[in-house]
Amino acid sequence: MTTVPMMHAMIVAAILLGLGLTGLLVRRNIMFTLLSIEIMLNGAGLAFIAAAAHWKQADGQVMYLFIITMAAVEVAVGLALVLQMYHHLRTLDLDAASSMKG
Amino acid sequence: MTLEQIRALLPLIILVGAAVAIMLGLAVRRNHAFTVAVAVGSLAAAILSLALGPTVATPITPLLRLDGFSVFFSGLILAASLFVAVLSHGYWNRRRTVISEEFYILLLLAAAGSVTLTMAVHFASFFLGLEILSGSLYAMIAYERDRQAAVEAGIKYLVLAGGSSAVLLFGMALVYARTGTLDMAAAAAKLAGALDVLTLAGVAMILVGIGFKLALAPFHLWAADVYEGAPAPTAAYAATVSKGAIFALLVRLAAAMDIQSNPPFQATLAAAAVITMFAGNLLALRQSNLKRLLAYSSIAHMGYLLVAFLAAGTLGRTAVGFYLAAYIITTLGVFAVMIVLSGTERDADRLEDYIGLSRAHPLLAAVFAGMLLSLAGLPLTAGFVGKFYLLAAGVGAHLWVLVAALVISSTISLFYYLRFIAAAYAQPAAPPALPAAVAMPRLARLAIAVLVILLLWLGVYPAAVIRAIQEAVAIGR
Amino acid sequence: MPVSRRGATAVRALALAAMAVELVLAVGAWIYYGRLGAVGAPGAWLVELNWPWIAPLGIRLHLAMDGLSLLMVLLTAFLGLSSVVVSWREITQRVGHFHLHLMLVLAGVVGVFLAVDLFAFYFFWELMLIPMYFLIDLWGHEDRHRAAVKFFLFTQFGGLAMLLGILALYFAHASQTGQYSFDLADLARTNLAPAAAMLMMLGFFLGFAVKLPAFGLHPWLPAAHTQAPTAGSVILAGLLLKTGAYGLLRFAVPLFPEAARQFAPVAMALGVAGILYGAVLAFAQSDLKRLVAYTSISHLGFVLLGVYSFNVLALQGAVMQMLCHGLSTGALFIIAGLLQDRLGTREMGRMGGLWAVAPKMGAAAMVFAMASLGLPGLGNFIGEFLVLLGAFKVNVALTAVATAGLVAATIYSLWLIQRVFFGPSAEPPAMEDLRPHESLVLLAMVAVLLWLGLFPQAVLETSRAAMEYVAGTQVTATAEIPQLSTPGARIKGATPKFMEWTPTLSESTGEILQLRMLGVRIEGATPKFMESIPTKSESTGEILQLGVPRARIEGATPKFMESTPTKSESTEEIPQLSALKAGIEGAPRESRELTPRSEEGSRFRLQLTSGTRLMSFDGCLPVPLSAPWRGRFDHVSRPEFPDVPVARTAGVRPVCGLARPEFPDVPVVCELARPEFPDVMALAVPKGGRR
Repeated sequence: MTTVPMMHAMIVAAILLGLGLTGLLVRRNIMFTLLSIEIMLNGAGLAFIAAAAHWKQADGQVMYLFIITMAAVEVAVGLALVLQMYHHLRTLDLDAASSMKG
Repeated sequence: MTLEQIRALLPLIILVGAAVAIMLGLAVRRNHAFTVAVAVGSLAAAILSLALGPTVATPITPLLRLDGFSVFFSGLILAASLFVAVLSHGYWNRRRTVISEEFYILLLLAAAGSVTLTMAVHFASFFLGLEILSGSLYAMIAYERDRQAAVEAGIKYLVLAGGSSAVLLFGMALVYARTGTLDMAAAAAKLAGALDVLTLAGVAMILVGIGFKLALAPFHLWAADVYEGAPAPTAAYAATVSKGAIFALLVRLAAAMDIQSNPPFQATLAAAAVITMFAGNLLALRQSNLKRLLAYSSIAHMGYLLVAFLAAGTLGRTAVGFYLAAYIITTLGVFAVMIVLSGTERDADRLEDYIGLSRAHPLLAAVFAGMLLSLAGLPLTAGFVGKFYLLAAGVGAHLWVLVAALVISSTISLFYYLRFIAAAYAQPAAPPALPAAVAMPRLARLAIAVLVILLLWLGVYPAAVIRAIQEAVAIGR
Repeated sequence: MPVSRRGATAVRALALAAMAVELVLAVGAWIYYGRLGAVGAPGAWLVELNWPWIAPLGIRLHLAMDGLSLLMVLLTAFLGLSSVVVSWREITQRVGHFHLHLMLVLAGVVGVFLAVDLFAFYFFWELMLIPMYFLIDLWGHEDRHRAAVKFFLFTQFGGLAMLLGILALYFAHASQTGQYSFDLADLARTNLAPAAAMLMMLGFFLGFAVKLPAFGLHPWLPAAHTQAPTAGSVILAGLLLKTGAYGLLRFAVPLFPEAARQFAPVAMALGVAGILYGAVLAFAQSDLKRLVAYTSISHLGFVLLGVYSFNVLALQGAVMQMLCHGLSTGALFIIAGLLQDRLGTREMGRMGGLWAVAPKMGAAAMVFAMASLGLPGLGNFIGEFLVLLGAFKVNVALTAVATAGLVAATIYSLWLIQRVFFGPSAEPPAMEDLRPHESLVLLAMVAVLLWLGLFPQAVLETSRAAMEYVAGTQVTATAEIPQLSTPGARIKGATPKFMEWTPTLSESTGEILQLRMLGVRIEGATPKFMESIPTKSESTGEILQLGVPRARIEGATPKFMESTPTKSESTEEIPQLSALKAGIEGAPRESRELTPRSEEGSRFRLQLTSGTRLMSFDGCLPVPLSAPWRGRFDHVSRPEFPDVPVARTAGVRPVCGLARPEFPDVPVVCELARPEFPDVMALAVPKGGRR
């Protein structure tokens, strides 16, 4: 079985991060925004896994577990806020959430 | 784990224990005053445990380290949390529409996260601390979920903090991929002298992530909306505890990695500092909302702090420590006035709310003016010595451009501070927008009195504090 | 919080009592420490207080008083008392608050006049601002908010520029001595490269020139003076402007004597521009207070001119002008305030013919207007005259132009009196003349002005030592010192303030007498007399040049000293004498041919520092380079290259390298100094170039 070189995995991870970032900047729908953040986090997670595999250590995998946990927290709070926002605004469009200016 | 390490960990154990205790207690019976008492008591106990804790630097697992540096910054953070908790009591009492007790759970957890940050010597603990803090802050910001602005602010902060965390993590992963260790000092040692593109990108992404949390330009745009939407105690918390903890982490990280002496980072951070100072102060000029103004002014102050940060060395780190202390005391002071003036419906964050404050509450107006003058850096206040220290650090390190930017931008800042001070002492044409006689809770009064004493103490006779900070940052290395 | 009528009176009485005590104390200090003018040596404090403050940064609460501070404190106490009195009727809103700010600003002013630790000075400097801002913003007239903000921004910016200068100097000093101090006496000993000194001096100058205000930095002044309440205007014109002039005299000039001297033409030109600009614009005003405000710019221009003329005459004039301007302009503002209080306007167009109803006020105004135009017999005349006299020696053209300002002053002063007190009145004026307490204040001011005009000696004597110190730090004054003089060496550069020659070794060997000049101590205190005590001179003929036992040179600044070892040319035994001769710039070269009798590298050029930089001695040093020598050096030059002035090479370890890149063959320096005399710099220029 051939191992995947770390650099390749890193590049995939970077692409994931870039995709997520693009989504974060481009999409105005709050659900997609949250999804984009998940994708970014997964990119970071993948990078940790690849690095851990390269160094044959568990540290990076532990970090990935932390990242999953954190992603869960984000989603939990995020969805709660989305519900509230929908309750207030009847839309999921982020641009509608602009009552504050200045 | 040895007894000594448990002793060192005691502040965190107390905070988390108290949070759990409140959570369980709420299942039995809700009592606001009791919850506040537990929260304040646990914060005080945590401070006490710090004071009585190990006097030598104690590593607690590879993740955390209790030394003079973390003791000082943890103490600062815990004290600030304590003030926020005390002030929140009266604030939530007036907002009867909201269930208030859970706020203190979040506050304690956020404090625990912040303390973790000040002790972190490992990327894992850095990340954990940061996320415990951020996760709590999301909820604290959107705590009044029936207010649209609060929810908007929460979502905004969540999205941006989440995105920046991802960037930060990716940076850590890059550094990890190159060095094979998540220990900051060990990673720095392996990187020593040889930053290739990958690790350069990694460190840069870490700095971007931190810059986001500190609202440094060009990542500063979220701050004003978040502060405005958040309830005043949360805004106070975000402006003081959260920023203080992250700046402490940044100082420790930079000391380990020697970021300031790396030309590309130095240049980038210097540019960021200049832009941050000017952006913060120029944007604050137009504000007539006190929360937004404080958001921008806090951005500017983070820019000032970067000057001392870039100066590095003991002088630079002492300046950072002192200025953070002064900034936290002062910002808490302004928010304290805002919190006690806030009514049942909305926060006292408009300029109109302060017109003629000296008539209705002469003492409160004096405190308000004193705190704003401290933010502007005028004598007899902590801000004066703080700004002096920053400039000293900058001049000592020959950072002339930064120092000049600091001088010019802080002169600009006088405009908006003076506007609010002048408003507070103006003769009102119309009766004040808020009910004149706000019943000030005795505890809040005490808290404000203590803040004023600290403000003057640091402004007039700071020798002892400076010496303590010098020792703390010297041990920190 | 409304204060009851009785409470308000109590507050006023308390403030009055405080200022009265202050005045008594100041006069007491004048009598006790200053002996009413018989004040001690230049650069020496009459009385001082030195407490630790912020030890980790080397900050001390160091307050000290010399003749200049004494006069300024007297002025502060007097004008402070007057301000409380004139506010008695005018201020009816928030009386307690008003007096709080009034007392605070006066505290700041007194602090500024006494602080000689630069941090403390900056602390008090900034402390003045806030209460002054409030005085204008809360009790001022119609356009007070803008005026207050303008005042605050200008002065704060200037203050920060000055702070940068202070900090730069602080670090320069610390890097040279390893000692962190903000003390004036310590910082004055810093060695600075000319460019650095100039930049720092400009920082200080900016801070002080905004306050003064110098021409170009004045826009805050008319608005602030016009809009402030009467007491505020009196304090602004009478005291706050003086803090700027005081700062120049106390800090900007003595700390950077050479940079200040280079800058002098610009500063003098600014002064003259201010004189004319203020006078011309004063003429164009119809608002009484605004007119007086512009005259302030004009009068303070004289102060600037005097300060940068660098001679005792002009400096004395500047001090006199500061005092008299404080009184006369303060008084004019009081009168303007009284008129506004009574008539509800400051427009001169709506006044006129007031002499008929208020002759007392008219007479008082007449006196102060005459003072303002410089009528002999009143103090202002003395001040302006001395300034012009002193400046004339330095720059005839500028002085001539400045004199035109006097003509303009005559016009606007007479015009003011004419329009307000004589002239046709628009409506029949009905107004009360001076009330007793107002008369008392104005009468006291008239008396003081007259006294200053007729018997200026006490004041001039009080400030003389301080002004000689300021002038003495300059290079301009020259004096030959005959007892040391004969052809030979000259010492060029700044002025040795106090030099002590301690030839301890002379008793035994005699030969190395001039080496002991290493032990020359130059202290920042006395610029006036020099004492050399060559113990052996009487007996041995060899050391003739030092053989001027107890030569005391008083009253003049030794610009260059010629010391001639009469015997040096011929005899080899007294190499040290030749060393003296050789080292010093412009000296004959032959002495350098003397062979160093000890090891290689014992050819020396010794640089003794004081203030910024000083003379140098070059020659042989019969002491090995080794043990007791260590330290650092700062300036390099070699007699062969008289036009290579000084190169600054910071560092602690003996550095070898090029003195200046442009002169690659000016080689190497090794630093020396003796631990006992950390401020004595020395450096060696080893034979044969770099090492």
